[in-house]
Amino acid sequence: MNGLMAHRAEPLPARRLGIVRPARINLGRDFGLGYALLSPALVYMLALVGYPFVLALWFSLSNSSISGDEAHFVGLRNYIGLMGDSVFRSSLKNSLMFVFVAEIFKTLLGIGLAFVLLRNLPAKKVIRGFLMLPWTIPVSLSLLGWKWMFDPQFSVINYTGAHLGILHSPLPDWLGQTQYAIAAILTVNIWRGFPFAAVVILAGLTSIPQEIFDTCKIDGAGPLTRWHYVITPIIAPILFIGLIFDVVFTLGDLTIVYLLTNGGPINTTDILPTLSFREGVNGGDLGLGSATALFLFPFLFVAVFVFLRMLRRREI
Amino acid sequence: MASSGVALAEPIVLPRRLNWRKVASLTRSYLALAFYLFIAVFPLIWMLMTSLKDDADLVDATVSPFWFHKPLAFNHYVYLFTRTSFVQWLQNTFLIAGLTLAITLAVCIPGAYALARLDFFGAEKLGVGIFMTYLVPPILLFLPLSRLVAGGLHLGNNKLALVLVYPTFTIPFCMWLLMGFFKRVPRELEEAALVDGCNRWQAVCRVVLPLTMAGILTVAIFAFTLAMQDFLYALTFTSSSSEKPLTVGVPTELIRGDVFFWGELMTAALVAGIPVAILYNFFLDYFIEGITGSVK
Repeated sequence: MNGLMAHRAEPLPARRLGIVRPARINLGRDFGLGYALLSPALVYMLALVGYPFVLALWFSLSNSSISGDEAHFVGLRNYIGLMGDSVFRSSLKNSLMFVFVAEIFKTLLGIGLAFVLLRNLPAKKVIRGFLMLPWTIPVSLSLLGWKWMFDPQFSVINYTGAHLGILHSPLPDWLGQTQYAIAAILTVNIWRGFPFAAVVILAGLTSIPQEIFDTCKIDGAGPLTRWHYVITPIIAPILFIGLIFDVVFTLGDLTIVYLLTNGGPINTTDILPTLSFREGVNGGDLGLGSATALFLFPFLFVAVFVFLRMLRRREI
Repeated sequence: MASSGVALAEPIVLPRRLNWRKVASLTRSYLALAFYLFIAVFPLIWMLMTSLKDDADLVDATVSPFWFHKPLAFNHYVYLFTRTSFVQWLQNTFLIAGLTLAITLAVCIPGAYALARLDFFGAEKLGVGIFMTYLVPPILLFLPLSRLVAGGLHLGNNKLALVLVYPTFTIPFCMWLLMGFFKRVPRELEEAALVDGCNRWQAVCRVVLPLTMAGILTVAIFAFTLAMQDFLYALTFTSSSSEKPLTVGVPTELIRGDVFFWGELMTAALVAGIPVAILYNFFLDYFIEGITGSVK
């Protein structure tokens, strides 16, 4: 009994991860060849991700600078200095707030769009291509369009708002006033990310077997019941994975804030990536810049941890 | 897929009332679709209009910005291609993305084959480990990497530095995707080739690789477009116009001080962005599958 169970349970995780155990002849179990083929990738990732990551840790504990002077170990001085810095604290707050608010809107808009895309629409592929444009165009280029739409003098948003009677003078200076700048950054963030949320949710919805819906119909479950008791539990893992990836991408992204406001007015829209860039590249302080970016690490660590747990749970 | 879609969107109805309900729900769908299309595409339509407007028309606040008040102007396009470094950035982008693609495939094809076919100690952990590096964002690595490429490797302000660094984010995902493609080739085919007298190398080259061509092509497009999308590394590692790719050249060099050349900016963003978007769209399904498939 025990042996049987072990036999049944064991090969599954390996197959889920893409490694199929050797079935018959000499396709598997080639120890040397396996490592030889994988080694270029391992060496590459160790040299250009692993090593730089360790170097970032070292920078954050030292007074390294771009000038190349001898760097010394300074302990947690960079981190402690940052904690006392009001710009850093507001950047950390902005980073988390932007991600939180943006994810909520992206998910809501994504759910709606996913249901629209489930329909049998004519020219579906083409329509989807258009709907995906915010996600597929490099964000550093589409941002320029937004910057023009937020222009203090010739903003099309202000023009339309004023003519429809929604906005009154003084018209907002979208990128020059803190509360509007935050709204602008969030808008672009959400605009950029909702198509991705939609396709991830769509992937979840289409993975639900038709029989389940048939059963629901027979049992008389209405749309809300179906959504709550059937759809949500089934797509939750996929939605969650999509969310983890998007949180990681959004937390680490500097492009939107850098090009829209570069942290202005007076650092009120700074996020950790823009602050890290300014300290590390413009200010030349590699230690402070690395420490700033590494404050993101706990959040990434949680993301990776949750991801691995879900991976394991699905296998067993 | 389509049938489950209809089931999801339609309430359960009696056959006699079906048509009326169908019309209502179709209308709702199309209204929602129109709303989403408007949100998604309006900024880009706006960019297109701006790129075709005369400069005097652009800065005339007295007229409606929603129409053309002067003849269509193509001078922004001409200016962009003749008077700026746009063509140079375009070449740089293609060179960088092409070389990144070559490195990615050279590293990923053997690696993914090993992970998919060979059973060796720690293989599954290594596979997951490599994929996990996709969750390490560039913002954690750009400072040490800038030190490495400028110091140890003497590639400061050199587009080759980008070629070296971009595979750090293309390899994890491409490896994961390729592994899936290799798995789909029945191992019996490879075994048959071995039985027929091929050695392993020949079996891979003559049987496995031809059968995974579609997958390799997908991964190639993926690596190419990802390399075209980067902003942070290019911003940090390149400073002179001749080394910049499009994503950095356009937003940094077409804005001089406080002067925005809106016409040229919009033109450049569209001319550079739309082809990337079209390429990206081709492998979008695989991208989603790669991310969501990792928990299936």
